[in-house]
Amino acid sequence: MEYLIILLQTLLDGIMIGGVYAVLAIGLSLVFGVMHIVNFAHAEFMMIGMFIGWACWHFFGLDPMLGAFIALAVTFCFGMVLQRVLIRPVLGAPQVAQIFLTVGMLFALENAALMIMGAEYRSVTTPYQTQSLTLFSYGSERVLVGMDKLYAFLMALLSGSAVWLFLNKTRFGAAMRATSQDPMAAKLMGVNTDLMYAVAFGLGVGTTAFGGSVVLPYITASPAVGSGYAVLMFTVVVLGGLGSVTGAIIGGIAVGVIQSFSALFMPIQLQNLALFVVFILVLALRPEGIVARRRS
Amino acid sequence: MTKDTSKSPFSLSRRQVLAAGAATALTMPFYARRGFAADTINVGVIQPLSGANAQFGINSRNGIQLVADEINAAGGIKSMGGAQINLIISDATSNPTQAATVAQRMMSQDGVCAVLGAFASSLTLAISEVTERRGVPLLTMSFSDQVTGRGFRNIFQVVSKASDLGSATITHTLDLARKAGDEITKIAIMYEDTAYGTSQAGGLRAAAEANGIEVVMDEAYPLGITDVSPLINQLRRTEAQAVFPVSYLNDSLLIIRNMRQQGINLPTIGGAAGYIIPDFRNGLGELADDVLSISPAAYDQAPEFTERFRERFGYFMVHEAQEHAACMGVLASALEKAGNADPRQLRDVIASETFDEGWATVMSGGKIKFDETGLNIHAVPMMVQWRGDELVTVAPAEYAKADAVWHSL
Repeated sequence: MEYLIILLQTLLDGIMIGGVYAVLAIGLSLVFGVMHIVNFAHAEFMMIGMFIGWACWHFFGLDPMLGAFIALAVTFCFGMVLQRVLIRPVLGAPQVAQIFLTVGMLFALENAALMIMGAEYRSVTTPYQTQSLTLFSYGSERVLVGMDKLYAFLMALLSGSAVWLFLNKTRFGAAMRATSQDPMAAKLMGVNTDLMYAVAFGLGVGTTAFGGSVVLPYITASPAVGSGYAVLMFTVVVLGGLGSVTGAIIGGIAVGVIQSFSALFMPIQLQNLALFVVFILVLALRPEGIVARRRS
Repeated sequence: MTKDTSKSPFSLSRRQVLAAGAATALTMPFYARRGFAADTINVGVIQPLSGANAQFGINSRNGIQLVADEINAAGGIKSMGGAQINLIISDATSNPTQAATVAQRMMSQDGVCAVLGAFASSLTLAISEVTERRGVPLLTMSFSDQVTGRGFRNIFQVVSKASDLGSATITHTLDLARKAGDEITKIAIMYEDTAYGTSQAGGLRAAAEANGIEVVMDEAYPLGITDVSPLINQLRRTEAQAVFPVSYLNDSLLIIRNMRQQGINLPTIGGAAGYIIPDFRNGLGELADDVLSISPAAYDQAPEFTERFRERFGYFMVHEAQEHAACMGVLASALEKAGNADPRQLRDVIASETFDEGWATVMSGGKIKFDETGLNIHAVPMMVQWRGDELVTVAPAEYAKADAVWHSL
């Protein structure tokens, strides 16, 4: 029984953090899916979202969960502009050019943040940060979940489903999917593909910024915070299947659960080893990712 | 562009003139240094000014800058005809390869007489490979045992090494607990698996063993851990009476918050770095109260110096700033004594003299003397505790400024 509780707790911890990985990675998946461009600067938008969330909290007393919507809106617009100015010229260019551009953006954004915000670590103080919900207890053993993680998970769920609904249930979403499948055909059907690309990029970086703001209660914002998450984000989307929202969600939760369970069987130090062993296995056995359908 | 130049060829030649001028200006210091060596002394400062450790690097730079400015304002190095200290400050990012490259460049292009840096042990170790080869003294406040453990001749560690800090953490904690009537027999250690974390945890472990204390949890975790729940879950299931986390800032906030979330109120004794900077308090608010930490130096030991830092920069003199200031103080005294900026002579002066003047006195122990490995024999690890927005020294007894608050179990 005691062991069961430990397993339950581990699973829960994994799902909670995994949900957040998912929302951070959905945007990356979306940008790749629609524009076929690998955005190496993507994790920097998480950092931008964190700073916007922090600023909303610091100056207006807005909870980061609500600040997340502002982060989404601001970053969405910023992303649209970036797409128009920087990404569009390299859309048809060789991949090397795209890589140079997005890696360059990574450095530019990180250092711009360093110039504007300074190197201080910014964190928020909210009442629920130190509260937890006991779901289940048995003797002295408890299964509990931190409120900050729970809220972040719920917000992640919300934004993940919103993006999914948008893509699958709206005309605009259908147009975006059409653009991703065949831009030429979409154009011939009257879809404004330029707009689709801009919106996809804006939405992609916006959801990641949203994710950045919701994790603020337990992760400290600093200009370099993105670099720690970049590899995780790529793992999540490749694991789930590049270009698929469902894939990103499943990939995110899988990564969280693997990290969390590995701590049960081996030193926590090796949690990323466990993750990448699984990652390599998935790449070897199902190179298209867990979810994506095999392309003919 | 082409159209522009064809219309007014003059603009192109003006540009050339400007470029040539800029090139001359860039090479000027090179000649100037050769010609008037007495006027300025180039001192290399390598710190992580961007990347994950940027804030610590900036604090360190502020400490060095303060001392250098004070020395220059007071008339420079007198034995060298009032030569001014010219800091060549470079960003090591948070990447050891970059740190080594920067060090290389400083020595070949700027002819620095010594290097100060670079907060994180991993960076300092990378730089020391270069300075050792070149015979340029490197003064550092990095903790790792490896800093002075490799038999290098040109490296000087002003702080106690990590293993000593680790063992002092245990002995001071036992004393504080005993004073409050607690006997500690079981402890938990968690640390990030970097050069610094591993060395310091090693010291904690060895001291625990020497004192007959059982380490019921001993867990390393990867740098940049995103979720500490597994660690705290594990801690919850142990019977530890005190917890010793060793980490930089983000993990420290995660660990304390997660402990409180799970209702764990064990006495927490941090391993310096993230536990004794203003952002720790800013991030945690009241949760920071009474958290203890080891610190290689404490600003309340030399307020007549450290308050000058607060006046200029607006926050208390964090330990990395204070120790780097001490490094600069040692270097200034050594320059004064050597009477020239030859790296080899400076090295010999630093290695042989006792430094008990000016900013060298802000190090714990009040003076600095290096043994044959380059370790400061006078350094004393301090135990500090959060009181509101300030840190106060609570141990060892002869340095304590206040009694420790100990929450009995």
